[in-house]
Amino acid sequence: MNSVNDRSRDIGAFVPRDDDDMLICRCEEITKGEIRRAVHDGMWTMTEIRRYLRTGMGLCQGQTCARLVKGIVARELGVSPAELEPATSRVPMRPIEMEVFAKEAKEDGHE
Amino acid sequence: MDNRITEHPILGIQEKGEPVEFTFDGKPVKGYEGEPIAAALKAEGVMVHRYTQKEHKPRGIFCAIGRCTDCVMVVDGVPNIRTCITPLKRGMDVRTQYGVSDRKFEEQ
Amino acid sequence: MNRVDLIIVGAGPSGLSAAIEASRRGLEVIVFDENEKPGGQLFKQIHKFFGSKEHRAKVRGFNIGKQLLEEADEAGVRVILNATVIGLYQDKEVVVRIGDEVVHYKADAVIIATGAAENMVTFPGWTLPGVIGAGAAQTMMNLHGIKPGKRVLMLGSGNVGLVVSFQLLQSGCEVVALVDAAPRVGGYGVHAAKVARTGVPFYLSHTIVEAEGEDHVTAVTIAEVDERFQFVPGSEKRFEVDTICLAVGLSPMSQLLKMAGAEMEDNPKRGGQVPICDNHGRTSLPGIFVAGDVSGIEEASSAMIEGRMAGIAAAEYLGYTDAETMQSDLEQLENALDGLRQGMFAPKNRGKLIEKTEEGIDISLNLLEKGYVSDDEIERYPGVTHRKGVHPVIECTQNIPCNPCQDACPKKCISIGKDITSLPIVVDDCDCINCGMCVASCSGQAIFLVDEDCGDGTATVTLPYEFLPLPEEGAVGNALGRDGQVVCKAEVVSVKTAKAFDKTYLLTMRVPKEYAMKARFFKS
Repeated sequence: MNSVNDRSRDIGAFVPRDDDDMLICRCEEITKGEIRRAVHDGMWTMTEIRRYLRTGMGLCQGQTCARLVKGIVARELGVSPAELEPATSRVPMRPIEMEVFAKEAKEDGHE
Repeated sequence: MDNRITEHPILGIQEKGEPVEFTFDGKPVKGYEGEPIAAALKAEGVMVHRYTQKEHKPRGIFCAIGRCTDCVMVVDGVPNIRTCITPLKRGMDVRTQYGVSDRKFEEQ
Repeated sequence: MNRVDLIIVGAGPSGLSAAIEASRRGLEVIVFDENEKPGGQLFKQIHKFFGSKEHRAKVRGFNIGKQLLEEADEAGVRVILNATVIGLYQDKEVVVRIGDEVVHYKADAVIIATGAAENMVTFPGWTLPGVIGAGAAQTMMNLHGIKPGKRVLMLGSGNVGLVVSFQLLQSGCEVVALVDAAPRVGGYGVHAAKVARTGVPFYLSHTIVEAEGEDHVTAVTIAEVDERFQFVPGSEKRFEVDTICLAVGLSPMSQLLKMAGAEMEDNPKRGGQVPICDNHGRTSLPGIFVAGDVSGIEEASSAMIEGRMAGIAAAEYLGYTDAETMQSDLEQLENALDGLRQGMFAPKNRGKLIEKTEEGIDISLNLLEKGYVSDDEIERYPGVTHRKGVHPVIECTQNIPCNPCQDACPKKCISIGKDITSLPIVVDDCDCINCGMCVASCSGQAIFLVDEDCGDGTATVTLPYEFLPLPEEGAVGNALGRDGQVVCKAEVVSVKTAKAFDKTYLLTMRVPKEYAMKARFFKS
């Protein structure tokens, strides 16, 4: 187990900062303070953060904020961003209307 | 408005589609068929495309290639249309998006 | 389920190049691209590219894009546009959104060439309309003919920040400042110099404090940062602007590979999360290849070569070419790629501070800190010589892989030698005929034709000029120095154009002879 996932590690208490109200996830409107607090609430992986706060789950699917969120979480955990596993990638990679997602083309629909 | 580049030193005079009229928040505006809706609005000096759901903050063009989804508007009654990659058509009804609606927050 | 030999995701420079090579070897290829038009970012690149002939040097990016599309067409490549790949599975099933349907494809090999996405930085006001990515600025002005703003502040001094600043000027926008938190200019010195000489001030070791505005940006404040990137109190500078352009790097768009289960790594030298792959784009998953920025941020020129290599490797994987033929085909491409990965800006030198050129000459500190080479520094470079009559003055001061100038001169006055990154020199028996081919061929706009003493107390300087409106013959204006400051009055002698100059006009101005080596730009 690497240090990133060692949950017995003490990362200290949440300390408010001046820039906590800086918006990070533009789609879901999540601030830096919310992300930092989530880490102290026990969300140490990118996937947990995403599910907890919905960062990167809005219309753009994390195109803009993924790297920013990773940087903030890494800093809070005192590790390098490179050590943090990115959040799971799964279908659909791009925003898509449910109606379209559910509408599979017939066998040779596009040939 | 003079946001259009009339002649570019390298690219010359850009080919555009037919001049068309469409509406922005009900007001008639001009653009060229086939150019992104956002380009036509930018040429007219429109900066705000929407106000966000939670904080009601203004947003406009940010990435211009359909990735960031900040430029979404209500187009012909359908919300969340990425105006930077949706081609303009004659008579389109383009409206500022408030949250996911074209009605101002106080009217929602 | 639709079956095909090879699916390529992304019709940019690398994807199209891969498709061309694979198609030529007999594979049935489909290329998906989520955009309305193919070519990726090439059609937004309006500057002349670096490199040598084999890399299509001195050809403008959008023209390379046109050539590539023609080549793809001839090779019978099928490109499906407005087709968004939303999923990739290990068994090479590709899920694509086409129109308002989801279509499943299955291929025997897949090449991922999805490119990169722009990085962003945050500051108070960064979500205001008017704060845009550099890519957005390029898209608006170069694809759609719209000015991104009237007064623009650029954040980022890498090649993207420098090139886009120049493009903004070409579109008629004012660039009020070029700002970077780093202490040194990140991109090519020649790209910086051509922006600086027009009068754009550079603020290195500075970053944005905040953007102001109610509904859109109306002003921006920057301040100096110390080594620990903390603001230096009292160093704030405020600019009234309507646009802030962010050019702070790119990240590979590698999510599809992670989804498919390819082994990934976080590699800062490659720009972030990238698949682990070999020199020809083979990932840890047999039959899944990568090419271009998705496997490491570089330039379009290298992406095209990587694409070709991946296309050939995929053909071999499916048995359309044998290992031996593949090897010899790849060797040629490896050499071409190697040529591009030389010099001070080579991937292996990323992040290193290089203080001397390969020739042992000190790098200009002014260039790194202010964007221009100072008058006293310029004399030390081998392309800067003095002689009677018109002669080239080559202000090329960094080792970059580029050599069109030596082929451009019909009198063979310019020599780079066999090493493509060497600084060009003017040969001793220079027999310059003032044709201007060198000035127009230099992708870095770093060559000037100077007659230091016309005999009447004046000198003439011929410079590359890519702006509209063109000054008229006889017009009187100001000559600007390398630092963009007015040095003296100047009179336009001529403005020449020719097909071979490819839209680079040659502006010749007359200045008092003491300014022959100082005057480098003309402003009406």
